[in-house]
Amino acid sequence: MNPLLIIILVPAIATLALFFVPRGNNAAVRGICLLATTIVLITAVLAFIQFPNAPVDDAVGIANKGLESEHVFKWTTKTEWVPDLGLSFFLGVDGMGMAMVLLTAIIIFAGVIVSFGITERVKEYYVCLMALVTGVFGVFTSLDLFFYYFFYELAVIPMFLLIGIWGSTTRTVDQGYATMKLVLLLSTGAVIALVGLIAVYLYAPGAGFDMVKLEEVAFDTSFQMVWFPAIFLGFASLIPLWPLHSWSPAGHAAAPAAVSMLHAGVLMKLGAFGVIRVALTYFPDAAQVYLPWVGLLCCMNIIYGALVAIAQRDLKLIIGYSSSSHMGYVLLGLASMTLIGMQGAVFLMFAHGIMTALAFSLIGWFYDQTHTRMLDDLGGLMKVMPFAGVGFIIAAMASAGLPGFANFVSELLVIIGAWHSNANASLWWYIPPILAVWGLVLTGVYLLRAVKDLWYGEISPRWEKLQDVKTPLQKTPYVVLIATLMLFGFWPKPMLDVLDGSVSSLHYRIENGIEQSVETGALVRDVETPGSGAEGGAGLDSDENAGAEGGADR
Amino acid sequence: MNIDLNLHLMLPELIVLAAALAAIVTELLLPAGRRALPVAWTCFAGLAVAFVMLLVGDYDGRAMRVPGDAAEGAPLITGWISDGFSVFCRQVIAFGGMLLVLLSMPYTRRMDKGHGEFYGLLLFALFGVMLSSGVSDLLSFFVCLELVTISAFIMAAFKRNDLRSAEAGLKYLVIGAASTALLLLGIGFIYGATGTLSFDLITQQLGDIEALGPKAWLLWIGLALLLSGLLFKIGGVPFQVWMPDVYQGAPSPVTAFLSTASKGVGLILFIRIGTALLAPAEAAAGGVSLVAVLGTVAVVTLLFGTLAAIPQKNIKRLLAYSSIGHAGYLLMGITALVKASEAGQVDAASALLFYLLAYVVTNATAFAVIVLVSGSLGTHEHPAYSGLAQRSPFVALAMCLALLSLAGVPPMSGFFGKFLILRAAVNEGMVFIAFVGAVGVVISLYFYLLWIKEMYFKAPREGAEAVKAGSLKPVPVSVPALVVLVIGIIGMLGMGIAMGPFYDWAAQAAESLAAAP
Repeated sequence: MNPLLIIILVPAIATLALFFVPRGNNAAVRGICLLATTIVLITAVLAFIQFPNAPVDDAVGIANKGLESEHVFKWTTKTEWVPDLGLSFFLGVDGMGMAMVLLTAIIIFAGVIVSFGITERVKEYYVCLMALVTGVFGVFTSLDLFFYYFFYELAVIPMFLLIGIWGSTTRTVDQGYATMKLVLLLSTGAVIALVGLIAVYLYAPGAGFDMVKLEEVAFDTSFQMVWFPAIFLGFASLIPLWPLHSWSPAGHAAAPAAVSMLHAGVLMKLGAFGVIRVALTYFPDAAQVYLPWVGLLCCMNIIYGALVAIAQRDLKLIIGYSSSSHMGYVLLGLASMTLIGMQGAVFLMFAHGIMTALAFSLIGWFYDQTHTRMLDDLGGLMKVMPFAGVGFIIAAMASAGLPGFANFVSELLVIIGAWHSNANASLWWYIPPILAVWGLVLTGVYLLRAVKDLWYGEISPRWEKLQDVKTPLQKTPYVVLIATLMLFGFWPKPMLDVLDGSVSSLHYRIENGIEQSVETGALVRDVETPGSGAEGGAGLDSDENAGAEGGADR
Repeated sequence: MNIDLNLHLMLPELIVLAAALAAIVTELLLPAGRRALPVAWTCFAGLAVAFVMLLVGDYDGRAMRVPGDAAEGAPLITGWISDGFSVFCRQVIAFGGMLLVLLSMPYTRRMDKGHGEFYGLLLFALFGVMLSSGVSDLLSFFVCLELVTISAFIMAAFKRNDLRSAEAGLKYLVIGAASTALLLLGIGFIYGATGTLSFDLITQQLGDIEALGPKAWLLWIGLALLLSGLLFKIGGVPFQVWMPDVYQGAPSPVTAFLSTASKGVGLILFIRIGTALLAPAEAAAGGVSLVAVLGTVAVVTLLFGTLAAIPQKNIKRLLAYSSIGHAGYLLMGITALVKASEAGQVDAASALLFYLLAYVVTNATAFAVIVLVSGSLGTHEHPAYSGLAQRSPFVALAMCLALLSLAGVPPMSGFFGKFLILRAAVNEGMVFIAFVGAVGVVISLYFYLLWIKEMYFKAPREGAEAVKAGSLKPVPVSVPALVVLVIGIIGMLGMGIAMGPFYDWAAQAAESLAAAP
């Protein structure tokens, strides 16, 4: 069976199944969710491993002459939904989508276990969590623009309920305010992007909502210039691009642990994913014009986010601002318009997701017991919870860019890419990479300070009874997250191989502009919908394996 | 004179009419105290039969056709069209009527008299809405509209002893009468300018607007006045002032009627008139601008409705403003319809029809919950809904989904409706209006989420002001109401996820509209 279908349907079925569990049977609820997420995780890992060599008979892609690898979507499956509107239920992943699916699968698996601490309205909690993750998987695997948006919005409302019901008001953040702000800003970005998506769809009536066919459309330059800002800003508010970021740290601070993990780990990536998938892919000419400005804005992300994080005393706000600071690196990598920078950007989306999920899950672990996250109230916790402490220090080190972690590899790529993007431009463009390096130093400042205040020093007597992470089940999520970080830190090649096809074709498009890309590009294989006859399928057979080979060459 | 009296085309409507009369007679025959259910089920049966007939039967044709042309003195009534569009609208209204009857049952059960009048009036009004889908001249247009409006006046004031209900009826009557006067004046102007009331013949004259000479101005004024009458029905600015008070004061099932069927008649007639008169008029005027007027009204209506809904603490008042906001979306679609060429017209009309379908089901669900919850607690304010999710999870879920559908969030039907309207707007190049529509979604999301917050985040309140004892117990749900809730949930999710068949259904209806002679 198609792995992507499994990945989408299992959480969806779990959501429905939960409605039929009698109220109060919390063990069954947790069991169903753990089972579902385990299946999804195993499927995602297997798919990730197979991705470069997966058979191509259900793949569709764009091959560019003069480029070794092709932009290939694997495991595609297409069902006509509303033929009159060109709307179909169309799944498939390219390398970037695959990496994001893996990221989501790991985080939701960890998140479900971390949420075992929730004891109030358990069933409703997991219904929302599963609905949320269904939406997220849907976004990463949809190749139909309509369903892409559909799933994107689908993720927002469960978020509202999750933060609003199970979150907490602290001295720093009012829960109701943060929840509403988060939902409204996310939705504003989404609907503005929606108008842009409709414009894209109407521009090319032949392609319908098919995102692969839309790659074949040569959008007019003026059309690109008008609609790039709408779509870019719509999605970038979710990244979040400075100055549209203020919903994000507040949202983190009010959310329960698992939701913070998903929010910082995955939801922010939805924004970057949308920017890449739609704005940069369809509007490369406009991207050439606008991206340098984005490069400047994301310096504000990096530096401003880090400085604000230094000023915080609430641990979740520190990590929250740190997230928006680090997403600045993702934008910087994209704005560099170099292959290496873009590769680093997508890789960083993955690495940052895992790292930040690890940090939030550990904060959740002690917050459940202490009910405070203020650094001034805490201290010396290493004595009572060494496992959690070590885990947190690992997350902090990874975030600060210590070699050996995936974050180091990806941030290095981003900075190198940003540096090279200057090759033939003015000296001004050396500023972003220099600022980015200093951003890493600032990261060290606030994280090391947090580590010191939280884990070392005198322990207050009221914390001496705190529990550490004990049982193997409790340890599983942290072990999985740390292992992932270190695996890709020491051995980034599998990830870079998977990313190669999608990133290099994106780079090709931005470098050469849309006309040349469309001219030299060819739809390698069209997906047949069952019963639609034998039209299409005009494949360049010799190119069929190019994706696999191109991937293996690196 | 030779008249084609194809009355069989109107059979479903006649059955609804018969059911209305039967309801009144049934009440007279039965002893007091046992009247509620038989009367209601009579009406339900009538609507159900009409609905099934419309689903299975073949109703293509033209009833009461009076041959004649402008030369030999055009007839006042030119016949009644039963095309795909009309059949679609009648199906939706008959189905919506069934839901309305069901959701009225918990309410009418508490009344000790007046069942016959209540359901009779409801069915008279539905009869008018169903008839309105096939009008082809301004006289039948006026008659259908008034049939609905006058029934609604009485229904709004149905709780005679309740000051608010009486106030609602009076306000509705005064403002409604004023708008009727404008409408009639408009029809008079059009007749004066063209000498006919038939849509076809007026359109013919629009094609040769020069020939009318200075009388063309009469025609424009007439059309503008005609618009005002329709805006009153769907709640467009500046004819929206009656809505909040009337929605709040009228009995809840009547409010449900006002927000579904009564709004529906405005939309149905707007689409008819839009394709038959307004679009040709727009073309004839060479861009002097019905579109500009309609577009402006759409934007103002949308913003007014969504912004004014924010501070509302009464759920019926909130839905009144939300209903004004929705009128803004409908007007967006109508603007696109008037602006469009033929293909675009079909797109816009099918968007509007899908919207109507989604909106009727969604609103019926929301009002079913209101009848239940407010009925058991006697208040429409916030506290009645606090912690509803913990008292009655199913009722709260239904309300939550209905509100999300009204806001336009996937996977609910309301989302696809709004998507289609936005698509139609962007397709006609109305990008600014589309952005306003998009922002409107977010604003409305805010006030709907405030209610979801009340239901889901808060604990049930005890001893809160205006809430009687019982605010901690589950809401009693009777079987008819349960049916409405289940149908509503399935309908909203079904139309939001498997939207294909429903869209095709609406698109077919819209195509027949374009193909009309």
